[in-house]
Amino acid sequence: MKMSATRRAVLLALQLALALVVLLPFFWMLSVSLKPPDEPFSIPARLWPESPTLANYLTAFRPEFRTYFINSLIVSGATVLITVTLGLLAAYCFSRTKLLVLSALLSLIVLAQMFPHAAIIIPIYKMMRAADLLNTYASLIIAYVSVTLPVAVWMLHGFLAKLPVSLEEAASVDGAGPVRIFREIVLPLARPGVIATAVYVLIVTWQEFLFALSFTSTREMRTLPVGLNDFIGQYGIRYGELMASSMMVSVPIIAVFFLLQRYFVAGLTAGAVKG
Amino acid sequence: MTRHDRWLVWLCLAPTVALLSVLMYYPMIGTVIESFHQTSFIDPEPKFAGWALYEKVLSSRDFPEIVRNSLLWTVGVVALQNAIGLGVALLLNVGLRGQGILRALVMLPWVLPGVVAAILWRFMYDPQLGLINSVLLRFGLIENNAAWLADSGTAMAAVIVAAVWKGFPFSTLIFLAALQNVDREQLEAATIDGAGPFRRLVDVILPSIRSVVLVNIVLTTILTFNYFDMVWVLTRGGPQNATHIFPTKIFETGFGQFRFGEAATYGVFSILVLVVLVGLYVLLQRASAERRRTA
Repeated sequence: MKMSATRRAVLLALQLALALVVLLPFFWMLSVSLKPPDEPFSIPARLWPESPTLANYLTAFRPEFRTYFINSLIVSGATVLITVTLGLLAAYCFSRTKLLVLSALLSLIVLAQMFPHAAIIIPIYKMMRAADLLNTYASLIIAYVSVTLPVAVWMLHGFLAKLPVSLEEAASVDGAGPVRIFREIVLPLARPGVIATAVYVLIVTWQEFLFALSFTSTREMRTLPVGLNDFIGQYGIRYGELMASSMMVSVPIIAVFFLLQRYFVAGLTAGAVKG
Repeated sequence: MTRHDRWLVWLCLAPTVALLSVLMYYPMIGTVIESFHQTSFIDPEPKFAGWALYEKVLSSRDFPEIVRNSLLWTVGVVALQNAIGLGVALLLNVGLRGQGILRALVMLPWVLPGVVAAILWRFMYDPQLGLINSVLLRFGLIENNAAWLADSGTAMAAVIVAAVWKGFPFSTLIFLAALQNVDREQLEAATIDGAGPFRRLVDVILPSIRSVVLVNIVLTTILTFNYFDMVWVLTRGGPQNATHIFPTKIFETGFGQFRFGEAATYGVFSILVLVVLVGLYVLLQRASAERRRTA
């Protein structure tokens, strides 16, 4: 189809406007994070600092921040590992076994992704308290695995259901047991789906705020989102530092997303559009 | 399937089923149980309270405000997020050069952690230092610095705008995938028949992505209704309750004031309101499908 010049120009202008709306806040965050602490916020605000510096980053990378960062890494890493493993096992059973009771069970699991976290947090909090797990990594990891599993099972099931079963059947005829088939045939084929799911779980847990805010009570156990929220009160007016911290929280997850984006988009939309 | 295989299947499912039963399904019931028991900071031992907490919540001045705010927030974010999401998806689907990069860039706000997005917007809205007032002042659109988040007349709109900015890429992503399934021949036939872009959208594109639109609306409704981070970091539900929604009220009551029973009662109400809201969508969708069939 050939486009008229006016139509082209209008579309291009719209795309530029879109890029501006999406990127301007990011640009602003970066710009303020690079402002030297002594350069005043002139009114009207300057878009780019006169003499950019990393000073804010050095101040913001204080010991608490490092603790929060490590906590986030541990909690998110463990959650991704456990959720993807359990999700893959469950999804494999669901996609290769035709039993009425299993499809009912799958619906119940998928339904759980709709449960409102704020509404169910009080009983979960009480269970954690009874098990003496409050303010530990375990409380967060257990909660995060539970809330991410439904989506993981759903994404992986959508993915596995599309794989051809003929290879597995051939291997079975050749006498390979279920464990071996899973490890040597299913796992390699499922890699893109596994990566997509892992990225999704990581994005969700890296930013999780409500459970982390409710379950952790000391600075030693706080994760990055809660730590950042604390910074608002402590350094309310020092936006330079706050923006530098925000950059350091966001850049890792943005990098992961862009590196693995093609898997992720395919994996998420396959399930969503089909369902 | 051999007996051995069946045993293996249940073994693989056991951890997932156990976790979700205890940490997702039981708490749904637990919240209801909790809502009939009163606790406080001074007296943390739960005592059976009958319907007392329901009466208390229903007769409080906050309750109607929270229901109204929750509906306003949810409908506002969902409508804007999906309308903009669809518009952007159409824009990124026209086949211009460079749109591949733009498709990836557009996802940025969604990947950005919620608390970071909220802090960033808090700063953008800052009356003295924020970008929004600077730009509006420079172009003469406002005369004095506006306190967007501190004014109960603008706070809700400001929170909704920030949430839409963060959330629309998700809708765009889903709509873009759906647009790949629109029949090209049908589109070309419509073009040859002289249908402009708007007619093509209404007559060809929208009917063929109907089901995806509905799924997206229901999904974003549930996610938005339960979204805590943005409102909590931007306003904590203020000023004067102007942005208090169910999740922020539950958190404040439960973990700010340690009134777990009352927080759970708000939780039960929030589930009821959400079920009604989603039910309404489904009914509306049924009714419109019915109309189409008879038309």
